[in-house]
Amino acid sequence: MPFDLFINGQSCLTGDAPVEDFAPFLDVRKLRRAQAVSKNALLCACKALAQAQLTPQAQTDMGISLALGAGALESTLKFIDTIVEDGDELSSPTAFASSVHNSTALMLSMFLHIHGPCIVTGQFDSSFAAALLSAQQFLQKNMCEQVLVVISEDINPLVEQCVQQDAHVFDPFIYQPQSAFQRVAGAFVISAKPTEKTSHILRQVSLSRTDDISTQSQPQFPVSSCAHSVLLFEERLKTNSPFVWREQFAGSILEITGEPYVFS
Amino acid sequence: MKLSSPVSVVGTGCICACGNTPQQSFANALTGQSYFALPTQRVESTYTAKYPVFLVPPSDYADKPASLTHSQFFMLQAAKQAFLQAGISPQQLDASRVGVIVGASVHPSFHCFFSYKHWKNHSFTAQDTQEIKKYLATPLAQWLSAQFGFTGPFQTVVTACASGTDAIGMAKNWIDTGLCDVVLCGGTDEVSESPYDGFIRLLVSTPEKCRPFCKTRNGINLGEGAAALLLANKKTVQKFSLSCQGYVLGYGNACDGFHPTAPDPQAVGLQKALSFALQEAGLTSQDIAFVNAHGTASQANDSAESVAFHAQLPGVPVWGSKSVTGHTLGAAGAVEAVLTLQALNNRLVPATAGFTEPDEQLNLIPTTKPLPITKKFAVSDSLAFGGCNAAVVLGACDAF
Repeated sequence: MPFDLFINGQSCLTGDAPVEDFAPFLDVRKLRRAQAVSKNALLCACKALAQAQLTPQAQTDMGISLALGAGALESTLKFIDTIVEDGDELSSPTAFASSVHNSTALMLSMFLHIHGPCIVTGQFDSSFAAALLSAQQFLQKNMCEQVLVVISEDINPLVEQCVQQDAHVFDPFIYQPQSAFQRVAGAFVISAKPTEKTSHILRQVSLSRTDDISTQSQPQFPVSSCAHSVLLFEERLKTNSPFVWREQFAGSILEITGEPYVFS
Repeated sequence: MKLSSPVSVVGTGCICACGNTPQQSFANALTGQSYFALPTQRVESTYTAKYPVFLVPPSDYADKPASLTHSQFFMLQAAKQAFLQAGISPQQLDASRVGVIVGASVHPSFHCFFSYKHWKNHSFTAQDTQEIKKYLATPLAQWLSAQFGFTGPFQTVVTACASGTDAIGMAKNWIDTGLCDVVLCGGTDEVSESPYDGFIRLLVSTPEKCRPFCKTRNGINLGEGAAALLLANKKTVQKFSLSCQGYVLGYGNACDGFHPTAPDPQAVGLQKALSFALQEAGLTSQDIAFVNAHGTASQANDSAESVAFHAQLPGVPVWGSKSVTGHTLGAAGAVEAVLTLQALNNRLVPATAGFTEPDEQLNLIPTTKPLPITKKFAVSDSLAFGGCNAAVVLGACDAF
C-alpha cells in the first residue's frame, strides 16, 4: 500500500562531530562521557530538527528510528579491552552499559526530549533501509506524527587493520577503502504530511533479500556498512531532481523512489 | 493510536532453560523446573564459579553446527517449530510476501570476543579472520530469512531487552499495513562473556535464583534461548486453513530518556506503551487475565513496573516468568509472549517461582500458585537499557 513520506530536515556528517558545533543546541559539557557514535548521531539530529524548525524542547509527538550498522563499537571494544587487560573483575560497567545499541537512542531521547516510540536496527548495510521502513510503519500506524530517522556508523579498528593488510579480505561485506575508515552519521526528520519545511517526498521505500551476495554498486565512499547507504541517499537528495534509487548490497536490495517536494 | 484488527499467530516455537518446545516450556514453568547451572563450558570468567545462569541444556544443542552461533541455532530451531505447528511449509508461501523480524542483543553486537582477544594479544590467525567474516556475513534476520528462502523485508531489532517484544509488535504492524502477508518474528540470545561479566559488574546479578517482585529480591539471573511466532494475515490463514495459536491485538512502544541502565521510577514510558497497546487492542485493563511482567527481580525494574501496573493494569494478576527462564535479553519478549499464549490457551497462569515475601513498597503480589483464568487476553511487557519500553496485548486461540 503506497504511503508517502515527507523529509522536513536532514543533516549528514563524515568524521567526528566538532565539539563547537553543539553550542547552538545544548550544553556540550553534558556530552563529556558520550561515545563518538552517539555524539555524531546527536549533532546530526540537532541540525535536522533545526532545519525542520523543531526545537530540542518541543518534540511532543515524535518517534525515533535509529540505524546502527555494527552497534556501539567504541564502547563494546572498550569493555572487552578492560576484560582482556584488567581482568573481568575490573571490567568497566560504564563501558558495558554504553555498549548496547540503545545507548545512542537514549542520548537522542534524553537530550532532544523525544518520548515517543523508539526502534533500533542493527544489520550492517541494510540498517538504513529498515530504519526508514520502521519510520513509515510508525507513521502509517499513527504511533506518532513525525519520526527522527538517525543513522550512525562506528569504526572497528580490528576490521580496519585487516582491510589495510588485504583490501579484499572481507569482500563483499566491507568495501575496499580508498583511505582510512571514518565514522559517518545522518539524520532525517520525516512525517506523513508535508510541513512548511518539507524538501522531498519519498514515494516508495522497500527492502528485500536476495541470495546474490555480490555488491553490485561500485563503492563511492571510503566507508562501510550502513554509512555507505546514507551517503548515497544524501547524494540523491542533493541532485534536487526525481530519483529511482536501487542499490544491491551483500544479500539485500534497497529501493527508494523520491522527488523534491513542490508546494502547490 | 487507533483500533486495529487482531493478527493471527499460526505457529509458535520456543527453546529455553525450561524446555525445548512451547508446550514443554510451559509445563515446566508450571512446576518450576529449569536448567540452572554455572556456565563454565561457555564463558571464560572468574565469576563462573559463583554466578549460575539459566542455560539451554547442552543436549538440546548437541547437533549445533560449529558454523552457527548459539543465537542462530536457537532461533532456527524455534522458527522450524513454528512452521511445524502451523502445518505449513515455508515453500508454500509467496517468498516475496514473507517478512522476518528478529530481536537480539549478543549476535548483532561485535561478538568475536576471542578473535578480538587474539588480535589484542598479537596471536590473530587466519581462523580469526574467518570468524570476523562470518560475523559480517550473518546479520541475524537476513540470515534467518535466507534459511527459508524468503525474499521479503527483514529487520534485526536491537532495542536491547525489549527487542523480542518490539519484533512481535513491528511484525503486527507489517501485517496491518499490508507490507507482508506473513511475518516470522521473535527473539534470540545466548549467554556470553560480555553480558555475563557486564551484568555482574553492574551489580545487578545474583548468585541465587532470582525472585521477581519479592521483598528479598537481590538481582537478575541471565538466561538464553529463542522463541518464534508466525503471524499471518486473514487471506493467508483462509487460503491454507491455518490453525490459530492465538492473536496479537496491540503494540505500544515509548522511550523514557531517563538513564542508561535504570528505568524511570515513575515508569512514564512504560505506562505510555501499555496504554497504546491496550488502545490498539480496543481493550481495557478489565479485559486482561494477567500480565507477564518483565520482572527481572532487580530493585529498580520491579519497582518501576509495579508503578506502571497499578496505573494501567490495576488489579490484574502478575506473573514473573524470568524465575524459570532467566533474563534472556533480546529473546525475553518473544519467550514471554509464547509462554503467555500457552497460559492463555491452557487457562492457567503459573506461579512466580522464587517469590516468598510481599514487598510493601511495591504493593504487588505476583501469582503464588497456578491461577485458573477465564478471560482470554493478556499483556506481555519489556523494559530495556536506554529506556526503551514495549508492550503487546495477546489473545487466546479462541478469543474470537
